[in-house]
Amino acid sequence: MNTMKTDAKDALRNTSILLKKWSRMSLRNRIAFYYTIATAFLLALIFTILFFMVESMVYKQFDDEVNNEVSEIFADAHVTSHDFTSFSRFTNCIDDKEINFNETKHEEKGPAKIDTEFIQLVNTQGQVINKSVNLARNVLIFKPRETKTIYFNSTINNSTIHQGQLPLFNRDGIIKGYLIVAVPMKKAIIVLNDLQNVFLFSFPGIILTLFVLTRLIAGKSIRPIEKVITTAEKITHTNLIHRIELPYHQDELYRLSATINTLLDRMQEAFQREKQFTADASHELKTPLAVVKGTLEVLVRKPREKEHYETKIQFCLKELNRMASLIDQLLMLARYESKKMNPHREGVMLSVALETVTVRLFPIALEKEIKFNIEGQEKATVTTDPAMLEIMLENILSNAIKYSPARSVITITVEQKEKYMMCSITDQGIGIPEEKLTAVFERFYRVDESRNSSTGGFGLGLSIVKRLADLQQIKISVNSVKNIGTTFTLIFPSSIPVNPVPQKRVTA
Amino acid sequence: MRLLIIEDEHGIAGFLKDGLEEEYFAVDIAYDGKNGLDLAMTNDYDLIIIDWMIPAISGIEVCRQIRKAGSAVPIMFLTAKDTLEDVLFGLDAGANDYIKKPFAFEELLARIRVQLRNKNQSDDSLSAGPLEINPATHQAFCNSSEMTLTPKEFSLLEYLIRNKDKVCTRSRIIEHVWDIHFDSDTSVIDVYITFLRRKLENAGCGNLIQTIRGVGYIIRES
Repeated sequence: MNTMKTDAKDALRNTSILLKKWSRMSLRNRIAFYYTIATAFLLALIFTILFFMVESMVYKQFDDEVNNEVSEIFADAHVTSHDFTSFSRFTNCIDDKEINFNETKHEEKGPAKIDTEFIQLVNTQGQVINKSVNLARNVLIFKPRETKTIYFNSTINNSTIHQGQLPLFNRDGIIKGYLIVAVPMKKAIIVLNDLQNVFLFSFPGIILTLFVLTRLIAGKSIRPIEKVITTAEKITHTNLIHRIELPYHQDELYRLSATINTLLDRMQEAFQREKQFTADASHELKTPLAVVKGTLEVLVRKPREKEHYETKIQFCLKELNRMASLIDQLLMLARYESKKMNPHREGVMLSVALETVTVRLFPIALEKEIKFNIEGQEKATVTTDPAMLEIMLENILSNAIKYSPARSVITITVEQKEKYMMCSITDQGIGIPEEKLTAVFERFYRVDESRNSSTGGFGLGLSIVKRLADLQQIKISVNSVKNIGTTFTLIFPSSIPVNPVPQKRVTA
Repeated sequence: MRLLIIEDEHGIAGFLKDGLEEEYFAVDIAYDGKNGLDLAMTNDYDLIIIDWMIPAISGIEVCRQIRKAGSAVPIMFLTAKDTLEDVLFGLDAGANDYIKKPFAFEELLARIRVQLRNKNQSDDSLSAGPLEINPATHQAFCNSSEMTLTPKEFSLLEYLIRNKDKVCTRSRIIEHVWDIHFDSDTSVIDVYITFLRRKLENAGCGNLIQTIRGVGYIIRES
C-alpha cells in the first residue's frame, strides 16, 4: 500500500516538475517547439499522402498490366468474359505462352519463375483447372464468390505478385469459373520500400533541422524583447529615466516598446506629481509651524511688555488658523482622492445652492465691496450631490473674491443648454496667464509663484473643485483674459429626472 | 556681526530678525532671491541665511552666484525640504550648513556661532591681551572681572576683537555692526568707541583700542 502511495506521489511530483519546466521554457524554445510540432504533423501527413499516391499509381499500373494480359488471353482464346463455354478454349492460349501444363511436370520441383506473368484457371469450387507452367507446384490464391474483377496482392515463394481475378460468365450470365492472372511486383516493391525508407529517415532529420533553425530565427526575432527586459530591469520607482530603445522595424515589438515608454512617461509624471505634492504639503505645513515655534521661542527668551506679548500671540493665532484650514483642505482632498466616493445625488436647485454659498461668503465679499450678480433661470435643477456642489461653488467664488479688485462684480450665469445645464462664474479680476490655465487645478499650484501668504491661499481649493467635479461627472473649464477677468464654467451631466428635494433656504 | 536673511515668509523673517537682533547681530532682510542677491553682492556680511524656496531667484541659485563671485561668507540654508538628496544638493551648491524647518531658535543661534567661529578657535570665547569676551553669553571680562556693556558696545568690541591686529576701517565697522537701515554717518562710531574706552579703562584694560588716524581703529594682541 505504502509503496503504491509513494509511487503515486513520485508520479505527481514528476508531473509537477515537468509542468514547472514547461512553464519556465523560454519563449524562443516554445516557439520552436510549437512550430516543429505543427510542421512535423503536416510533414507526416504530406509524406503519407505522397506515399499512398505513389503506391496507388503503382498498383494502377499493375492493374493495367494484368488487364492487358487478360485481353491478350481473351483475344487468343477468341472469347470474352461473357460467353464462357469451356475451360478447354484457354488451353491453347496458355500453351501459346509456351507454358505447357504437361511440360511443367518436368520442372515441378523447381521454383516458380517469378519474373513472368502467371495464369490460372479455376472453377467455381476453387479447383484449379489449368495453370501456367511457371507456377510449378504453387497455386495462385483464389477468392471465391467474387462477381466482379478484383485486384489484390499476394505472395508466391516469398515474392510479392499482383493478382487479377476475373469471373467468367456463360451466355446466361452465370459464373462458370475464374481466370486468375498475376504479374510480379519485385521492382515496384523495391521502389516503394525505398520511398518509404527515404520518408522515414528524412522525417526526423528534417524535424530536427527545423527545430534548430526555428530556434535560431525565433531567438533572433525576439532579441528586442531581451532589450526590453534589460531596460525594464533597470527601472525602479526611484529611477524612471531609462526608456526602451525603439526597434527599427515598426512591428508589434515597436508598439510594445512604445507603449511601455508611454507608460513609463505617465508613471514618471505621476511619481513626480506625488513627490511635488509631498514637498509642497511639507513646505506648507512646516512653514506656519516654524513661524509659530520660532516666534514663541524668541518671545519667551526675555521678559517683555504686555502689548508685545499680545501682538505676538495674535500673530501666532493667525498662523495657527491658517494651518488649521490647510489641514482641513488637505484632509478633504485626501478623503476625496483615497477612495471611490459615491456622490449622494439628488435634484438640486442651482439657485438655492448659489444663494447658500453667496450668503456664506457675504462677509468677505463685503470687505472688498464686491457684489454678486446672479443671472439666468431661477428654477434650473441639476442632479448632483448638494454638499459637494456647495464646496465647489464656495471654493470657486472665494477664489473669485480673492483675486477681484475692490468694488467689482462677480457674475454667475445659469443657462439651460440643449442637453445640459451650464453654470459660469465670471470675475473682473487680474486674470490668469494663458500658459498657466491648465495648471490651476493642480494641487498646491498658485499662479502667483511667490507662495507668500498675502492672498491667503494654498493652491488646494481648485484641486478640490476638480476632484469633486470628476466624482460627479461635472465638466469644469476655465477661461481667462488678463486684467479683464476669469470665467469658470461648470457643465452638469444631462440630468436624470429626479424630483427636486426642497432645500433649506438660508436667509441673510 | 552683520547677517543677511533671505526669506519670503514674513513670519519667519520677522522672528529671526527680532531674535537675532536681541543677540546683538545686525540683521538685514530680503524677501526674494533677486533682492537678496543684490544685498549679498553689495554688502560685506558675516553670515547669510537663505531659504530654499523663494521667489525670483531660488535659494540654491543665490548661493551659487555668491560662491561664483568668489565670496567665502558662511551660508546657511533654512528650508522645509528635508530629504537626504535635498540636504546633499544644498551643501553641494556651496552652503556651509543646513537647518530644517521647523527648527529651535537656540539651535539656529548655536549653529550661527559655529559658523562665525575662527578656524583655530576651539570654543566661542575670544580674547585680546587681558580682555576676554564670550559672544554666546554676552559676557566681557577684563582681567577676569566682568564688565557691563550695552548691546551695541558689545557688538563693536566683538567685531574689533574678531579682527584683532587688523585695522578696522570706519566703513567696515558700520557695515558689520550696524544694519542697512543705519545712515552712513560714521561719527556714531566715535561716540561708542569713547564709551568703550571709558569702561575698559575703569576695568583696568586701558589703551587697548588704538586710533589709526583717518582710517579707523585697531585692537592689538600685545
